[in-house]
Amino acid sequence: MAHTFRELVIGGVLVAPFMTYAVTALFVVLLIRPLLRFVGFLRIFSNAAIAELSLYVTIFGLLVLFF
Amino acid sequence: MTLPKQVRFLPLGFPLTSWAFAIRVWLAAIVALYVSFWLPLEAPSTALITVAIVAEPTRGQALEKAVFRVIATIIGGAVSIAITGLFSQTRDLLLIAYAGWMGLCVYVAGLLDGNRAYAAVLSGYTVALVAIQQIDNPGHVFESGMMRGAGILIGIVSLTIVSDLLWAPDRHRKLVEQLADIRRRIGNYAKSAILGETTQPMESAALLAEISALRPEASSLMFESSSGQARSVAGDNAAAALVAQLHAARSLNVLPVTADKATSERIVRALERNEGELPPPTVVWRADPQGDAGTTASLAWTLKEILRRDEQVRQNLAALRTDGRPPWHWRPLIYRSHRAAVEGGIRAAIWVALAGMFLVYAGWPATSTSLAVIGALVGLGAMTPNSRATTALALVAAPIAGLLAGLLEFVVLDGVDAFTLLAIGLAPLVIGAALLISLPNRIVSALGRFILIFAVTIFSPANPQTYDGQSYVIFFLLTCVAPSLLLATQFLVPPVSQERRRCWMLMSAREEFAQGPSRDRRDEPEEEMFRDAVRIGQILSAGGNAPNNAETIEEVLSYFDQSSILRLCDDKLKVLAGGPLTALAEEVRASFSKHEPQALRAASQVLCKASPSDHVVADLPAALMVASYHIEAALGRPIHLGEAA
Repeated sequence: MAHTFRELVIGGVLVAPFMTYAVTALFVVLLIRPLLRFVGFLRIFSNAAIAELSLYVTIFGLLVLFF
Repeated sequence: MTLPKQVRFLPLGFPLTSWAFAIRVWLAAIVALYVSFWLPLEAPSTALITVAIVAEPTRGQALEKAVFRVIATIIGGAVSIAITGLFSQTRDLLLIAYAGWMGLCVYVAGLLDGNRAYAAVLSGYTVALVAIQQIDNPGHVFESGMMRGAGILIGIVSLTIVSDLLWAPDRHRKLVEQLADIRRRIGNYAKSAILGETTQPMESAALLAEISALRPEASSLMFESSSGQARSVAGDNAAAALVAQLHAARSLNVLPVTADKATSERIVRALERNEGELPPPTVVWRADPQGDAGTTASLAWTLKEILRRDEQVRQNLAALRTDGRPPWHWRPLIYRSHRAAVEGGIRAAIWVALAGMFLVYAGWPATSTSLAVIGALVGLGAMTPNSRATTALALVAAPIAGLLAGLLEFVVLDGVDAFTLLAIGLAPLVIGAALLISLPNRIVSALGRFILIFAVTIFSPANPQTYDGQSYVIFFLLTCVAPSLLLATQFLVPPVSQERRRCWMLMSAREEFAQGPSRDRRDEPEEEMFRDAVRIGQILSAGGNAPNNAETIEEVLSYFDQSSILRLCDDKLKVLAGGPLTALAEEVRASFSKHEPQALRAASQVLCKASPSDHVVADLPAALMVASYHIEAALGRPIHLGEAA
């Protein structure tokens, strides 16, 4: 069965599902920041910025896939 | 043997880091433009301008600016809808409401610094870009706001992805270098003071100004990565500890005794340690049996304080390097001059209202563009020490940008519609301007940014590009009219002069000092020392080459010294509350506002006798003695009453 995407409606304004997922993924990344620091996430990778960007893309992809 | 001279590779005179930054900006601009064309957006230039504005050499700074840009756009968009809803039928009231909102935003910006001030002014001129641009079509304001928001998000995402993928440098490494350099110079200052050499007040003021200028840099670290918050805290603490160390070093100038040779050498060696070396052994002071016990104790305490502060700086610099979280956080307070902010806000509202009235009665076509540019210039000028100079710089940049945009549109591209050719055609303009932005000279850097923003505004990339000569000429002229008109209004109603700002700051320093430490003080003494350092930096910057600037600086440095030591004593006295020495502590605190050295010395002796071995009050008598020497030194210094007139 094809995955259906629901639009968020705020005060009569339709928000594209892409935006909803993007903002949710951003909040998830911000929430797990203390955990990432605790486990030393940045020290594992030579380019921490790309690693964090990839993590964001992964979370975004998982949200789209499962919600 | 002589080592071969290191050769730096500087293509066209710019370092490779500047070239890397410029190419990142160009790539981000192309990605932003491509996505805007593909969606398609109503105004693709918004995404391109966002890249031009948010472009900063390091990731943390760019991300912080981006976050504040989004927040400010949301606030500005909401206010645009409210203003349009209330005054869409009455054009004059709409303009007055816009001028009032700009004034309010400039007032708020006057109380903030860094990207927070930028967010405040952007909230103001977003109304110009959304509501005023749609003055003839109020029903379109919401859509226009949404399109602007979308363009901004695309610009930010493009720049973030390009910066991440192309290894944009992190800010914290550079900040560590800057703080370590200031630590080295404060160490040199302290060494001179320990060895009894003459130190210049302007040198201390310049160091304080330099430290306080790093405050926005430290706060931008928060956005850099998951360790950003810990780094930001370490940066704040290191900056505050540096201010406190300089204060301790300055105390040596007022003490009547100097350390003996052996002790001086030991302290100097301890200050010369690198960050990685072990902490020094505790300073053991050999009291001179011939000298005054109180004086030698105050010297010993001051030397111990210098080393303690140096150790705090070292710990926080190490934490900044290793992403460790410091166990405490000193918030870097800023000095806020409400009077200067109110005057700046009122003037901004007057400039916008006068320029708006002129444009309304001129009756030219598409003048809303000029009004929007005027709003942006008023806002950006409010973030600089001299708003009229910013407008003059924009007036220089506007014709250059117009000519470059014309060259790009009608000579380089000249009718082509392929995106690849547009991308290649934009390269010289974007890369050239970004190279100028990366220069350390603030005027040239601002000129580069203005040129890029104005050129993109005049060129207005669209899909398909119209190549309309008439539209180009109108936009070119209106972009040049905006800074000219604003400059004329700023000559009519001049901005607050630097001299007046300096007087207000000096008066506020005097008033605060006269009141003494407040009883319900909630901030740490180090945080308040940092706020005083910010004020000294602002006075130094406002003074310029004024003949009496050195005297003013000397006076505020004296207030800084006295207030800081009194706050430190006050903190130690608070510990005594509830104990057997409560009454004495209250008596000493009451004497702070009188600024009498004899009273402080008497209190110091009473405390010594009352509890000679109590560890809680161990340092207090010595600190009170140092405070008395600071006050005594200030009493012998002439007061420049003419300053506050």
